[in-house]
Amino acid sequence: MTTGSAVPGAPAAGWHHRHLIDLDVVTWPEMELIMQTTAQMKGVLARPIRKVPALNGRRVTTLFYEASTRTRVSFETAARNLSADVVSISTGTSSVTKGESLVDTVRTLEALGAEILIMRHAVSGAPYLAAEVFGGHVLNGGDGWHAHPTQALLDLFTMREHVPGGDLHGRKVVIVGDILHSRVARSNIWSLTAAGADLWLCGPATLLRGFDRWAAQWSGGKVPGHGKFNVTSDINAALKDADVVMGLRIQRERMQGGLLPSLREYAARFQLDAERVSLAKPEAIVMHPGPMNEGVEIAPDIATSGRAVILDQVSNGVAVRMALLYLLAGSHDEAHTTEPGR
Amino acid sequence: MSAAKNLGPKVGEMVERFELVKAWLVDPVSGREGPGEIVVTDGVLDSVVWLEGPEAEGVTDRGVIVAPGFFDLHAHFREPGFEDAETVATGAAAAAHGGYTTVALMPNTQPALDEPGILARVRLAAAASGSPVEILAYGAVSAGRAGEQLSAMGELADAGVIGYSDDGSPVKTPKLLRSALLYAGMLGLPIVEHAEDLELTAGSESHEGYVASVMGLAGWPTAGEVSAVSRDLAVLADALGDEPRARLHLTHLSTAPALDLVRRARAAGLPVTCDVTPHHLAFTDEWIAGARRWAWEALAEDGTSRDPWIDGALTAGPYDTSLRVNPPLSTADDAAACLAALLDGTASAVVTDHAPHTIVDKEVEFGKAANGISGIETALGVLLSLVDAGKLPLARAIAALTTGPTAVMVAAGHVPGSAAARPRGLEEGVPADLVIFDRSGRWRVSSESLLSKGKNSPLIGRELPGRVLLTIAAGRLAYEDPQADLG
Repeated sequence: MTTGSAVPGAPAAGWHHRHLIDLDVVTWPEMELIMQTTAQMKGVLARPIRKVPALNGRRVTTLFYEASTRTRVSFETAARNLSADVVSISTGTSSVTKGESLVDTVRTLEALGAEILIMRHAVSGAPYLAAEVFGGHVLNGGDGWHAHPTQALLDLFTMREHVPGGDLHGRKVVIVGDILHSRVARSNIWSLTAAGADLWLCGPATLLRGFDRWAAQWSGGKVPGHGKFNVTSDINAALKDADVVMGLRIQRERMQGGLLPSLREYAARFQLDAERVSLAKPEAIVMHPGPMNEGVEIAPDIATSGRAVILDQVSNGVAVRMALLYLLAGSHDEAHTTEPGR
Repeated sequence: MSAAKNLGPKVGEMVERFELVKAWLVDPVSGREGPGEIVVTDGVLDSVVWLEGPEAEGVTDRGVIVAPGFFDLHAHFREPGFEDAETVATGAAAAAHGGYTTVALMPNTQPALDEPGILARVRLAAAASGSPVEILAYGAVSAGRAGEQLSAMGELADAGVIGYSDDGSPVKTPKLLRSALLYAGMLGLPIVEHAEDLELTAGSESHEGYVASVMGLAGWPTAGEVSAVSRDLAVLADALGDEPRARLHLTHLSTAPALDLVRRARAAGLPVTCDVTPHHLAFTDEWIAGARRWAWEALAEDGTSRDPWIDGALTAGPYDTSLRVNPPLSTADDAAACLAALLDGTASAVVTDHAPHTIVDKEVEFGKAANGISGIETALGVLLSLVDAGKLPLARAIAALTTGPTAVMVAAGHVPGSAAARPRGLEEGVPADLVIFDRSGRWRVSSESLLSKGKNSPLIGRELPGRVLLTIAAGRLAYEDPQADLG
């Protein structure tokens, strides 16, 4: 498909989710549709004027209960590229600081005209509550430890761009770091096991808690549409012959929680440095959802090496979010009102 | 024989004359069940007749059942302090709708029930309610439930509390628990302990396991309960050396290893009892992901939990805050362990831990929602679902709601026959204390059908068996189904 036909006026066929909160209910064909739509949006971004009228007059509101610059700017850029009207609510300056409940805030935003609500929240599951009371579409920009679907989808898109043939089937993808607290890892489990990747999760035992059990539960690949994945604390085994290596941010709070002795010790054992990354395939790419702690989970020379596709992730993020806004905005005619949040 | 709608009295008034012919009677004191009839005259259970031969024909345990009124050892009626969530009056009405005629209230009110003045206030509210449901109360273990120093335990005993608990929280330190066991033992009363290791459970949202991992919920480890039970049993064993009347009751146990510890402690002769709740018997953590099958339907043949994602068993929305409860809903195998404990006598009773909350405290993000399930009206239906599934004999279910709680109170030092230890059988010549329900009569749980102010039930929208037709407490009408026809 050419970029010229990228943004037709009619709703996209094959998309029927009213909200996008997690990838657990998104089938592989639907993920493929998102990938195709993202490619079209990337075409838009390659034009001299990066703006199309697809969402002209549609009202998009970002509601961020957690501090974030990059994700919010990415969503807002995506919405503006589609000519949507964007309203930005940050909880530091809203009535949330006066104790307003999430439900009341969402109802208020709807009364003010919000049609698509992009939400980030520190509590897992919060967007499902919003979706229960919101008449429009909820797009999850990250909830607690639970899900970050747009990140997983931009990761998927970026991997397919770089992996020869664009097919992740059988490709070894390794995610290293604080898996326990990571919504990025959780959403990537759904997408990458659907893509048929050979997924490995790696980190210190304290930051993998519960994932052994999850991996064991899926070991037979018995969840319809999803394969198995591996969990290990052995960084060398994880990285060996990998096609994709993804580092996750390590937060200082983890030391206060008694989960890690020190950042220094984490870096000594798990940092993605030149020596460890050399265990991966020569053509392997290195990814990171950002923001990075260079020198902790990733060595500066790796972060800026030719293998790193971290800035591609950022630019693909805008295209993926344009695609999702476009798909969600077109889904209202066949909105599945019987499945709030699902 | 009169139809219930013609019974005459209003709630609180004496039942002057009531007969029921050809019902299924269950008497957990004598252990007898079968066809029979009862007559209540001037509030007294005048006659209990067991039918045999042709007269008994057609009467089965699938129809109308007569049992002694239920006794809930653990409920929260929120008064004083949280009257928007429940009051003694609404709680008593809900209890009677659930078949209960006696309820023991936990002291985590505001202010906490840590001195006799608060108890007097609760009793005034009970008297003013007009309900004949008997309201008993625990005193707090510690002043203000703060875990620093003992409450006015002796004065509370004189005023009539039936035991002590800091429920909602564990007794804060082993040292304070030891003192509490000694002092309460001296007074002939038990410590009722909410077993939770707060260090291990801080910040936890859901049972630590597969479901919590997938859903990104902070895990509540099994050790959070087991570690606390270990502590409590060790302190009890120690305290007994100084005060042989020290007694411990562990409430709402929810995990297999914790129940195992109690099983072994009881076998070794330690004076400890425990109870389990309907929700830990019947619901599991997969409900938080959106499953709604009963715990026993989620159990694989090898005794492990089935996978709701593999089974495609997710039928409701995820993160329903009505499922947030302390201790958290666990796996199907833990639920099976609760049932096994009930069947082998490790657990003496089923308690509701009825915990009504306002919509303000529940219509929030899962991790911010208040803990607790409004359950006093659904306990019977949940247990009957276990009975219908062939997992629990009817007589055992009734015993867990009647003689089981009494046995806990007797083991705790209460004199048999005293207020907290009435026998709860179908005894002639004493004030009628009965529940009559239609085992096969289904009713829909809804905001309208629940009499409790707390609508925080994960069973909303679901039909349960065991519609309660009539509850008589102390010879007086406590609840009458407006649609019932007992004629």
